[in-house]
Amino acid sequence: MSAQPAPVAETGYPWPIETARLDNGLRVVVSEDHTAPVVCVNLWYDVGSRHEPAGQTGFAHLFEHLMFEGSVHVAKTEHMRLIQGSGGSLNATTNPDRTNYFETLPVEHLELGLWLEADRMGGLVPALTQETLDNQREVVKNERRQRYDNVPYGDAWLRLLPLLYPPGHPYHHATIGSMEDLNAASLETFKAFHQQYYAPNNAVLTVAGDVTPAEVFALAEKYFGALESVSDIPPAPRGHITGAATEPIRETVTGKVPAPRVYLSHRTHPFGTAGYDAITVLATVLGSGRGSRLYQRLADGARIAQPDYIGAYGVDLAHAPAPLIVTATAKDGVDAERLAAGVAEVLDSMATEPVTEAELERAKALLTTSWWRQMSTVGGRADTLSRYATQFGDATSAAYRLPQWQSVTAGDILDAARTLNPESRVTLTYLPDEGTDQ
Amino acid sequence: MSLVATRPGPGESRPYTFPDIQRVSVAGGEVVAAHLPGQHLATAALLLDAGGARESAGREGTATVLAKCLEEGTTTRDSAAYALALEGLGAELSTSVDWDSFRVGVSVPVALLPRAVTLLAEAARTPRLDPADVARVRDDEVTALRMDWAQPGPRADAALRMDLFGAAERYGRPLHGDPTSVAAVTVEDVTAFHESWLKRPGVLLVAGDLDQLDLAELGAAAFAGATGEPTAPAGPLGVPIATGRRVLLVDRPGSVQSTLRLGHRAPERANPDYVAMTLVATVLGGAFTSRLNHLIREVKGYTYGIRSDFAMTRRFGRFGISTSVQTAVTAPALTDTIGEVTRTRLDGVTEEELEVARTWRAGQLTVDMQTSGSIAGALATLVVHGLPDDYYATLRRSLLDATVAEVSAAAARHLHPDGLTVVVEGDAAVIRDELVAGGLGEVVDAEV
Repeated sequence: MSAQPAPVAETGYPWPIETARLDNGLRVVVSEDHTAPVVCVNLWYDVGSRHEPAGQTGFAHLFEHLMFEGSVHVAKTEHMRLIQGSGGSLNATTNPDRTNYFETLPVEHLELGLWLEADRMGGLVPALTQETLDNQREVVKNERRQRYDNVPYGDAWLRLLPLLYPPGHPYHHATIGSMEDLNAASLETFKAFHQQYYAPNNAVLTVAGDVTPAEVFALAEKYFGALESVSDIPPAPRGHITGAATEPIRETVTGKVPAPRVYLSHRTHPFGTAGYDAITVLATVLGSGRGSRLYQRLADGARIAQPDYIGAYGVDLAHAPAPLIVTATAKDGVDAERLAAGVAEVLDSMATEPVTEAELERAKALLTTSWWRQMSTVGGRADTLSRYATQFGDATSAAYRLPQWQSVTAGDILDAARTLNPESRVTLTYLPDEGTDQ
Repeated sequence: MSLVATRPGPGESRPYTFPDIQRVSVAGGEVVAAHLPGQHLATAALLLDAGGARESAGREGTATVLAKCLEEGTTTRDSAAYALALEGLGAELSTSVDWDSFRVGVSVPVALLPRAVTLLAEAARTPRLDPADVARVRDDEVTALRMDWAQPGPRADAALRMDLFGAAERYGRPLHGDPTSVAAVTVEDVTAFHESWLKRPGVLLVAGDLDQLDLAELGAAAFAGATGEPTAPAGPLGVPIATGRRVLLVDRPGSVQSTLRLGHRAPERANPDYVAMTLVATVLGGAFTSRLNHLIREVKGYTYGIRSDFAMTRRFGRFGISTSVQTAVTAPALTDTIGEVTRTRLDGVTEEELEVARTWRAGQLTVDMQTSGSIAGALATLVVHGLPDDYYATLRRSLLDATVAEVSAAAARHLHPDGLTVVVEGDAAVIRDELVAGGLGEVVDAEV
């Protein structure tokens, strides 16, 4: 035993959780906390870019933008004005798995938040116009330019996904989508998209903060209760993949980047499984913080990698084996080959040198702090509960994640590491374009 | 479809209170703490009067290099042992350098805070600063800055800053330096900066469940061995405004977007118009519903986002607008942007817009201050600007009470569309002619 074991949590969610289901299938989760007069309204719709057929990449995300452009009782741009005019913060995100919408408000505006969400769940289609679609299509194309196309290494994620997942797999394409598909998006497609997926029985509503469950259940019934469920939501495309890849894949990109960079990646296990918990702890041992193996051996140690750009992390996707990504950027005078060999050696060491007690305790302590950081806002808590209700059918199962991380053993990590063998590895390398000055 | 047609009004307002503040003088320093009962995490941060403004000319970035050296081992343990000790508590050292302060902080489960503060102080007060390590960290920082400067933005920011404040003024150079100035930083610069500015006691900020914390114990750990007196802050710099608009062109060949930075000087943080200026910037470009975002993003579709703000420190202020637009619409986007600044200066704000801005800013105080980290940041603002313990309650009332007349007057006083410096970082070969023809101001190539 280590001299100073990390304190073991019996639960990662020590706040009350109450749940209900409306007759139309909407699941409602309430977590009461009267610490501050603030509340978060959070909705997860069980639709993401994994649902997009070929030729319609980027549609789920573009649709998320359209949800802010008005609905039957809410004028164009009024949604933002009302939330901000109430002192609230809002946002929405789309990823391969799902689309979420959330606003944190001073609690006296709870009812406004619920009314706005209900209006766009039940009344978006009549308000959707060609003009709105055209405008938001341009906004999304600018988002793609700003976040992916105009930034060194910005397209790494876009390149890794098709290398990790075969054509036709729901994770094969990135959520932002292609310019061609976005240009081809028609108004009718979006109306159909809403009618198909934005149904009460395809969503979870979580309210966390200065409220009581009885009050929230009554308001949910008032605003969402009369919306009709949709009976023929098509099943999600299958994300099943048998085992790890069997052949290494390498791709090299030469472009306007200031230094060589490598990404090593594997398909692992779906988020929420014991196997993925082991990967989460493994990634922390390997690449999180200055005490991690990668930092100690390559940024410190051999000094071939830049200290600010080294790390390892899992991408928490739940509907197929999720990616583990390991990355490093070369210091001056170090070539990509040497860097890639160094990173591979450290990654492979996870399978040959068992993690020490100190490494394990360090990783668990960091994960514990990051868990409590996520739980420190009503927004973080509401999003977590929506996730567990949507993906695992039970909001209260959120409480188990932290104890499960803490119970991962050195043997579990060794087992996980043995599946990360070089035969199943994707390696993406960026090389600076010769003649491009920095 | 059976939706409720009528928008619900607000329920009964529940009063927001900023956490109770406690101040304790101990071991030559002061602990300023906020009580957050029941919070699992606690944050502590050592606030030192050692910001970027303390750096020597040509050595900008010294404080940032020092910040990164703090974890390269201490006089009692090497860097690997230090990382294991600190991260074994679940803590990571967060360091930050701004114009007015140097901050070193940790966030951990509350029971571990005393041990984390002891380690924080060990790094801040007694870093090893081995010459070979300092030189290596400096070189790594040069490389990291070159990575950063390969992105659109930093060069445009530097061009704007230089034009507004001048090369002779520290504030005319980037806060964290540039690849050249950091490359010039010597080991002696770093050790001298530590000797001069990181050995004074400073202030320890604590946010967490104070029922479980002993502030005197935390202060004793943070201030052990510290010596020296606080220095009096220098006065404000004044607000010179250019007599004509200039367009500075920063070439980024092949760029698919133009990165735009517009700005002019403004008063320092202590100006009595602070609240009204915050609301001006909110109406103009501080919120999603603001004039600029509405026109440039929602109506025109030129950008993913655009924002404006007044950045205000102890000695200076700066009005600024930042956005990225697709290359083909660079000139029209600038014309529209400057048009909104002019309209706001001339016509002021409307009651409808101001209602959104004031309730949003006031409500944000409630929404933003949920975590120990954000409360520690709020405490830092109190200390740096010498504000009273009831500041946040007063600020909330001032925001809610601001009138159209006051905010419009502040717009007329503090917005200067004809004195703007306009920086365009983009593909010069594609956009130069259009910028010249646009007549926004003299077009000059910027040396960045």
